[in-house]
Amino acid sequence: MASPSPKSPGQISDKSKKYDRQLRLWGDHGQTALESANVCLINATATGTEILKSLVLPGIGSFTIVDGALVTGEDAGNNFFLDHSKIGKPRAHVATQLLMELNSDVKGDYIEETCDQLLSNNPDFFCSFSVVIATGLTEKSLHSLSSNLWQNNVPLVVSVSYGFTGSIRLQVSELCIIESHPDNLLEDLRLDKPFPGLKEFMDTIKLPEMNHKQFSHTPYLVLLYKALEIWNDRHGPNPPSNYKEKEILRNIIKSELGYGIVKEEDSNSGDEENVAEAIKAVNTALTKTQVPSNVQKILNDDQCIRLKEKNSFWIIARAVKEFVEKEGNGVLPLRGSLPDMTSDSQRYIALQNVYREQASKDAEHVWRHVQTILKERGWAGESVIENDVKLFCRHSSELRMIRGSCLAEELDGKQLPPDVDINQQLEEPDSPWLHYLLLRAVNKFHTENGSFPGYYDDNVETDIAKLKGCFSRLLNDLGCQGGSLSKDDNLHEMCRYGAAELHAVAAFIGGCAAQEVIKLITKQYVPLDNTFIFNSVTSTTATLRL
Amino acid sequence: MADVNVAPSLLDDSIRKSKILVVGAGGIGCELLKNLVLSGFNDILVIDLDTIDVSNLNRQFLFQKEHVGKSKAVIARESALGFNPNVTIVAKHDSVMNSEYNVTFFKQFTVVMNALDNRAARSHVNRMCLAANVPLIESGTAGYLGQVTAIRKGLSECYDCNPKAGQKSFPGCTIRNTPSEPIHCIVWAKHLFNQLFGEADPDEDVSPDTADPEAAGDAGSVALQNQASEAGNVTRVSTRAWAQQSEYDPSKLFGKFFCDDIKYLLSMDKLWTKRTPPTPLSWDNIPEEISDQQGGLIKDQKVWSPAECVQAMVSSIKILYQRSKELNGEESFLVWDKDDEASMDFVTACSNLRSHVFSIPKKSRFDVKAMAGNIIPAIATTNAVIAGLIVFEAFKILEGKWEECRHVYLNSKPNALNKVIAPSSLDSANPKCYVCSPHPEVTVLLNVSQMTVQSFEDKVLRGALHMISPDVMVDDGKGTVLISSEEGETTENMSKSLSDFNISDGTRLRCEDFHQEYDLNITIIDREHLEENREFTVIADPSQLQPKAAVESSGPQPSTSSSKPAPSTRATESVEIDEDLDVIFQKGTANDDHQQEPSIRKRSISGQADIGSASKKLRLSENDIIEL
Repeated sequence: MASPSPKSPGQISDKSKKYDRQLRLWGDHGQTALESANVCLINATATGTEILKSLVLPGIGSFTIVDGALVTGEDAGNNFFLDHSKIGKPRAHVATQLLMELNSDVKGDYIEETCDQLLSNNPDFFCSFSVVIATGLTEKSLHSLSSNLWQNNVPLVVSVSYGFTGSIRLQVSELCIIESHPDNLLEDLRLDKPFPGLKEFMDTIKLPEMNHKQFSHTPYLVLLYKALEIWNDRHGPNPPSNYKEKEILRNIIKSELGYGIVKEEDSNSGDEENVAEAIKAVNTALTKTQVPSNVQKILNDDQCIRLKEKNSFWIIARAVKEFVEKEGNGVLPLRGSLPDMTSDSQRYIALQNVYREQASKDAEHVWRHVQTILKERGWAGESVIENDVKLFCRHSSELRMIRGSCLAEELDGKQLPPDVDINQQLEEPDSPWLHYLLLRAVNKFHTENGSFPGYYDDNVETDIAKLKGCFSRLLNDLGCQGGSLSKDDNLHEMCRYGAAELHAVAAFIGGCAAQEVIKLITKQYVPLDNTFIFNSVTSTTATLRL
Repeated sequence: MADVNVAPSLLDDSIRKSKILVVGAGGIGCELLKNLVLSGFNDILVIDLDTIDVSNLNRQFLFQKEHVGKSKAVIARESALGFNPNVTIVAKHDSVMNSEYNVTFFKQFTVVMNALDNRAARSHVNRMCLAANVPLIESGTAGYLGQVTAIRKGLSECYDCNPKAGQKSFPGCTIRNTPSEPIHCIVWAKHLFNQLFGEADPDEDVSPDTADPEAAGDAGSVALQNQASEAGNVTRVSTRAWAQQSEYDPSKLFGKFFCDDIKYLLSMDKLWTKRTPPTPLSWDNIPEEISDQQGGLIKDQKVWSPAECVQAMVSSIKILYQRSKELNGEESFLVWDKDDEASMDFVTACSNLRSHVFSIPKKSRFDVKAMAGNIIPAIATTNAVIAGLIVFEAFKILEGKWEECRHVYLNSKPNALNKVIAPSSLDSANPKCYVCSPHPEVTVLLNVSQMTVQSFEDKVLRGALHMISPDVMVDDGKGTVLISSEEGETTENMSKSLSDFNISDGTRLRCEDFHQEYDLNITIIDREHLEENREFTVIADPSQLQPKAAVESSGPQPSTSSSKPAPSTRATESVEIDEDLDVIFQKGTANDDHQQEPSIRKRSISGQADIGSASKKLRLSENDIIEL
């Protein structure tokens, strides 16, 4: 019984122990992506350090804090990483030190300059980051940063905690996701379009020649396939599509497949587990095999067709497109996995191998298309690796692509999305559009007055009036002439906040924003598209597309 | 300047004057402590009985590597004070269920915040807060999902108002005789560990169960049983003593568990008329099957071949046997721990060998660990979000705006209304709640002649009903005391069956938990057999009682039978819960566009089908799903 010994127990690294609970969510490759990422935080505000905290703990590769400010008493009051003993010291330095204590695997760096200084002295500075996170920036600085990053194709996450409200804005020009982790992924079984290997396998199985024991240990996929053959003989090539037709198929499974098979004893017939499984699977296993619309959109995209850039995702997407048009006869590469089912091991493994072999054949075809594409364009062979192609093929039915919008253009914008009836939104007490506009209005106030409304206690009354002005001018700018707030409550509330950053809001927004950063970095799960608004008073959130 | 003004001064004042109890210093607890300290709370008591583990460090940021093995509560306090030395934080390295934390203790707090990882403690704190009339904020996370809710006596539903679907439990004969899923083999392998090295529990027998009702009257097995006893069968010696005789010779252990016992099972041929019969393995001929699975980039995620399993079994037995020999003094047995490598290797190897024998798909060590240890994925971000939401609920409670409190769910992606956070108004209390209604009642179905008083106390009262120190009196007009919380008073009752006390169908029991200030009347319904071979079923709402015929079924149900979340708690085989678990599993609200007709939909959002945790939300949203 000698054989190569299994990896001995003592070899599980400290790292995989430490990260065990998260590896179960995004896998080793997600973790590897995270560990090779390099993020930049602009301004070590409470929100900013809370975001970094949630990135340093799971083991981001490295971070850099850009901040020209010194620690104030207010910082010490709301920021866990800046305490009273550090008042007057450079915020970037202090925060970096304390954040690095959270995880020795993470490298930290800081620059004691403002974002504006860096943008003018060293405009290429931000190009090297995987993601840039901005907090505490004025609208003007945000505008320059946004244009810079949009041009350089670096994702930007802007996070705001303002009193009891907050927002997150994602700016990403294009994000391609291979593993979108959909909730309800159907099995890829191809019963409606059996590939030659499957057909061959199924043809070797003769149900009527089985004894009862063999029959009841046959994988349910075989039963479904055989029942479909009977169906096709009687009703033509289209598989059952509605309830009534599926009921007919269920009856075939129930009463015709095992017909004539002699039971060893007088056990109740018709309650074999595999038959029950086949009947149950009629709903899900017979879905028409086709390219899902979100994937078709990617395959038809200009990027895929013209393939201007040497980008791994698009190269493989193009190869998949060619596969679909040629070898695949209109369908995507096979996923190659099977659900668990009642069966004896031998036939289950045999069936599993049929699917696996076809999946690896399909991936092989795609891989060859990739090589042809690279050769034709004179691109280096190593720009795409085979494992990526396999992963891509396995997930080809769940691909997603997001094209975002530029924040600078939003700030310059002359109108809100056309489908938004702003006057109606202003009537609703907890409308996310209202909160969005209020947050824009306080920024406008800051641009015009140099401070946020209500920041100085003695100016509150005058600030309310000024903010009201800002709000209606903002509405005018956005093409909503005549739009106004019926009540001033919300403006009072915004002034009362005085731009304060409450720790609990910062913690909440920080957790949400860090999650978005992780999605951007791991390219798993579908990120926010593109603005998130939060009101802690009512615990409501909303996603707006701007 | 600005900062202090934001919170209206009234709130600000009540924050400063409040006294907060934080129960749990784990994932949520660390974030919560930080949030409280930075929001102006300055009198906090934190309690946790756990110590710090390496796998906590990816999110429990108040702890660092050098703290591994130390008390969570103590270190959390130190780290938080390091930031702000001006607040009062008291740390208790203790179980909140200890009797010193009585109702008077709870009464000193303005708000209690749960950051717990298990149902028993949640349920206990819920009762203490109801008895002390202190508002409770309950929370939980699992992977990307989370929830927060506020509970107050008379003003909202309580934690127990909606009975949670029971933890996944398996009938003994499924584990011992007829496993059909990987989890059955994993539970068996954990039992095997305890039989060989751990604290032996008679309920965790791993050998074939001849009393399997399904095999009743099986002539073959009777014959073999006789044969076996003649041959000096292990039923006479404990599994452990038998293993010790051979000094844990791996070939002998292997021979018994994967060959002889399997052959024995095969002789019970009634079991295999509809199932795939197992195939015994032979020590001299371990199949060399290709185990090249896709995907596994790290070795932990590779599925071992049977030969590799045997190797791992041999080496782990060697280590574990050595360890058990070195035991001395108070500890006479090993305790299974998912984070111990030899223990984990043993369970991975043995469960997969058993899976192989029964033609069940094998699992990687990584997956076995998740299932055996009931691991709930956990990340920093979700805990941060939930801890933030807890503080917002606390603000509303302190301001007296109870009507603004919400039950908030965090989804992993925007729901049908495009919301990641879904708040809903608090539900009012369930008038039939077996905890917070004025006259709590439950009905328990069991076999009065088989259930011992000991099992009734351990499994029903403590296990399922989460009592701590129950006193039970039979409502027979004589005031017969069945169980007393006074030590020694009813010891002689423990081994007797309930029927010995004239408890029969319809008997009522008065239970009282002095510590929880909780009274409960239990009506016993006598049933010879229960569905799925359960030992008992607790029914909170008697109207849920099905007609007798439907409940009584002969023999176990096929494993594919749908497990509708019944409003009952059950336990035969409970599994411990890892951190931060519970709650949620909110069903997707968006319509599945692949499904145009009613269909059976049973997916759990997280893909963690074996966690077996479901909440009331699950039940509520199930209304939209039509089941066939």
